[in-house]
Amino acid sequence: MNLKKQFMDGLLYQNPVLVQVLGMCSTMAITTSFFNGLGMGVAVLIILTLSNVIISLIRKIVPDKIRIAMFIVVIAGFVTMVDLLIQAFLPALATSLGVFIPLIVVNCIILGRAEAFSYKNGVAASFFDGIFQGIGYTLVLLAMCIIREFLGAGTFGGGLLGPGGKGITILPSQFPIGMMTLPVGGFLVLGALIALMQWALNRPKKNKEESK
Amino acid sequence: MSTEVKTKEKVDMDPKYIIKLTVTLFVTCVIVAALLGLVDNVTRDKIAAINWENTVAAMKAVVADPDATTFSDALEDIEAPAAAAAAAGATLDSVYEVQAGGASAGYAIKVVASGSQGNIEMMVGVDGEGAVTGVSIVKNSETAGIGSKVMENQNGVLDQFVGKSAADGTLVVGSNVDAITGATVSSKGVTAGVNAALAAAGAIG
Repeated sequence: MNLKKQFMDGLLYQNPVLVQVLGMCSTMAITTSFFNGLGMGVAVLIILTLSNVIISLIRKIVPDKIRIAMFIVVIAGFVTMVDLLIQAFLPALATSLGVFIPLIVVNCIILGRAEAFSYKNGVAASFFDGIFQGIGYTLVLLAMCIIREFLGAGTFGGGLLGPGGKGITILPSQFPIGMMTLPVGGFLVLGALIALMQWALNRPKKNKEESK
Repeated sequence: MSTEVKTKEKVDMDPKYIIKLTVTLFVTCVIVAALLGLVDNVTRDKIAAINWENTVAAMKAVVADPDATTFSDALEDIEAPAAAAAAAGATLDSVYEVQAGGASAGYAIKVVASGSQGNIEMMVGVDGEGAVTGVSIVKNSETAGIGSKVMENQNGVLDQFVGKSAADGTLVVGSNVDAITGATVSSKGVTAGVNAALAAAGAIG
């Protein structure tokens, strides 16, 4: 178990969104205001960690042929529980995320990590993998939320801060580009972020090769 | 990868193995279902209370005098109004009787109309004479900045329905209903919802 490597993988080298390109649907759909991104990120983090731990625990008794079905049952169970708990205790979040909470079941980050990591690793390592991958996902969501909300609505912290929870206005209302809050804006921002990430990840490598 | 190669081999038909697979999956499902039942038990009342609160808030927004009004539970026998609403182009969700000062003062009718990006759940208040007392949107996924203008009642687009009744005939965007520019589909969806609510109210009374 290598915590530091796992941490760096989750945030940078194996970032679920920017490097593994998993969970695109939710990333496009909900990153329009700060509160949405935070809520979705934390919900995925919790579900991912729980399902990672359980799948790692049962990995020895799960027959290989039905492992995907078992993963989905475990994940769907946790998602439904979290969905019910959010509806009961955070109704505002449930309203704004709507159908995307139940859709976490098919968020491929969770199934992807179950298959790629927790099915092959110990409980503690899987637990931290869930936390770090979850943080990596949340950070990207937040970055996208901040950019899209700023460009699309001219505000910061929508759903959480400012008058009536509508966010703190930074740009006067005639400047924002409404398109940025639509899916097309999500693709543009995500594309730019992935490009930036690839550039940043490849840069040190190139330097080393050149200096050889 | 070794697992990929394995799955391409002939499926192992050993009955013991098949039984093992079935039992493992079955036991897992039972455990998960039991846990879900537990969570549902804890959260059910709370969710129901929150939903009812939201429904009441939506209903208060569509009646003439919110402070002096109470609402019945959802009416149970709504087959006829549901059929009338469907004929008018939207789905009837539920009907609540509006009571002011102990007497019936019309209905709050929840309908689901289709917008440009999915369903629009809306509450329509109809008074005893069959005229609309208010329209409010409960839930929608209309495009932010375009269809959302209709949902947010910009330029009073939702207020224009107040006072309309079945006597005005079918409401049509462009003739007796004004749409928001660029949000025709959302405007039409809302209009269909109001038509359906009026039809449903007619079928109750």
